[in-house]
Amino acid sequence: MDNRELWTALGMDLEKHDEFLAPIPSILKNLFWDRPNRPKAMGYFDAVVGDVHGIRVHELYAMKEAGAKVFSTFCVYVPEEIVVATGSASIGLCAGAQFTVSSGEKVLPRNLCPLIKSTMGFKLDRVCPYFQVSDWVIGETTCDGKKKAWEILNEHIPTYVMELPQKKEAKDARLWDEEVREFASFIERETKVNLTKENLTQGIQTINSKRQALQRLANLRQHSPAPIHGLDVLLINQLSFFDDPVRLAAQVNALCDELDVRVKEGIGVAPVDAPRILVTGTPQPLPAWKLHALIEQAGAVVVGEETCTGERYFKDVTEPADNVSDMLTNIAKRPLKVNCACFTPNTGRMEDITLMAKHLNADAVIDFSLQFCQPYGVESYFVAKEMEKRKIPFLQLESDFSEEDQGQLLTRIEALIEMIRA
Amino acid sequence: MKQAGLDLGSVNTKLVVLENGDRIYSQVIPSRFDSVKAGINLLETYAGKYGEKPEKLVVTGYGRVNFPEGRVITEITCQGRGCHDYFPDYAYILDLGGQDSKVIKKSAEGKIVKFIMNDKCAAGTGRFLDVILKGLELTSEELNLAAQAKPMPINSMCTVFAESEVITMLAKGIPKPEVVAGLFKSTAKRLANFIEAVGHPECLIFTGGGAHYNILVSFLERELKGKVVIPPEPELTAALGAALLA
Repeated sequence: MDNRELWTALGMDLEKHDEFLAPIPSILKNLFWDRPNRPKAMGYFDAVVGDVHGIRVHELYAMKEAGAKVFSTFCVYVPEEIVVATGSASIGLCAGAQFTVSSGEKVLPRNLCPLIKSTMGFKLDRVCPYFQVSDWVIGETTCDGKKKAWEILNEHIPTYVMELPQKKEAKDARLWDEEVREFASFIERETKVNLTKENLTQGIQTINSKRQALQRLANLRQHSPAPIHGLDVLLINQLSFFDDPVRLAAQVNALCDELDVRVKEGIGVAPVDAPRILVTGTPQPLPAWKLHALIEQAGAVVVGEETCTGERYFKDVTEPADNVSDMLTNIAKRPLKVNCACFTPNTGRMEDITLMAKHLNADAVIDFSLQFCQPYGVESYFVAKEMEKRKIPFLQLESDFSEEDQGQLLTRIEALIEMIRA
Repeated sequence: MKQAGLDLGSVNTKLVVLENGDRIYSQVIPSRFDSVKAGINLLETYAGKYGEKPEKLVVTGYGRVNFPEGRVITEITCQGRGCHDYFPDYAYILDLGGQDSKVIKKSAEGKIVKFIMNDKCAAGTGRFLDVILKGLELTSEELNLAAQAKPMPINSMCTVFAESEVITMLAKGIPKPEVVAGLFKSTAKRLANFIEAVGHPECLIFTGGGAHYNILVSFLERELKGKVVIPPEPELTAALGAALLA
């Protein structure tokens, strides 16, 4: 089956999909392929993103033919381990394209986070094969916009919602533990595979290995000169949500081996004095590359992301246990260490940003918020306060997935760089 | 040695040339949607008069990235440098330009320590005032009357909505000066909030074309409960800063 046959089989709108994919090759060429001095091991990731609606979709389709299910997620809190343990697939969906935002606005208010509108548009337009190949969407209650949008999405694809607590007290941890157990039963029912000590151990190990590989990559970015561009790491972080976890971990480790050599030999992708930027805030889902591209175009290098398409996704691993119930307990514990702005209070995030800035030798922090994201938008106040207290130069930016504000964003980023260099 | 600063703005393009630190030339022309062309014209006019181009050139402003020559520095750094030349003791700058507005905080040495710029839309920019005032077809007498008038509250800060609010008021027979006073008061209030997101200046430096509205300055002083100072040619400070950095 070639790509077009596959897309037809998945009930996609081929005409619209062609229109959506048309500009992608030139974007990839400009932002990635033509950039000098990239690590050779990026070849794998270039191939995956170069055929982003092909290779992996064929695999998922084949998995389904063999009886497995595909569960789609939008959040780092959803426990992938459980899905992977049953032999089914857990994939994170694309949600960062301007192309689908206007379709999302057919059913959603305009003054809503572009990530939610983009997601909805992908389904309504039938231009995302991952959406089409999915049996279920696993939603969560990280913000009001998503929470209510799931109800609409459920009219188009079965949507299961996990209730994430809003505080981190003992009773909240109990609620989340219960949610994870209910989710485990739901996955067992849907996949007709029971969780056992063996398969869940395997599931935890697979996902932990992926997180550890991504941690290893993140740690390599503390070196100066930076051995890899932030844009390349962002791409890997984005792909890590839906690529095969075992293969991705192996490829990330291979890249890290190459970067180890670069670090040893003092080879970098930017001059030693290039300003080092830590990005914090809302996620940059595929294909939202604008922010990183502009920062690096301005002569700085992004050395870390305190975001869901970065550190929050992989910073903690699930502790092992020797029976299914304890494993589920540990699976539930891990995400509650993640400091998302959906929690109140969320002082842990301020510590995370400060520690990352220190560890990565960041010269400045860019606090990025997607337009209309209430939790991160409001929390920017505390980020600013913390950065001032720590005397870390910082810049607050708000944007969406559109292209037209690149000039304005670049001016602000360049001014920040001039500030650091003055 | 001659140093030039060229500020390629969205509405106007400005050139300042210094010789041994003293200003020998300055000129402002409309950008007419092509600030690069306007900048080239300015430099040519200057060269025609002085026989040669300035030895050093810094370009700044909206059109800077597309300009064929000169070192590129953002308008934030240039504005800070230009204002520091006039007012070394004051830390806060409000720049109300055609397409954007910004608040800059500088250190005692003139370095930028913090800045914010308005978001995407035209609210709180010079454009907002221009669009609405143009629609009102004010005489200078009416503008003077507005300084004493009781301001009508205007709530909308979206250019489109504010315009329709203004039209509704005029249709109700509310005198033009009161509406205009309201417009400036609400703009001043918005700008004051914008400034206070950065800090609380006792004395504010006000630059950009917007600083020419005396009525806006007095409302701003009331909102901030502080003093507002304006450089002699407030639309030229970024170009001056660029020349000083050249």
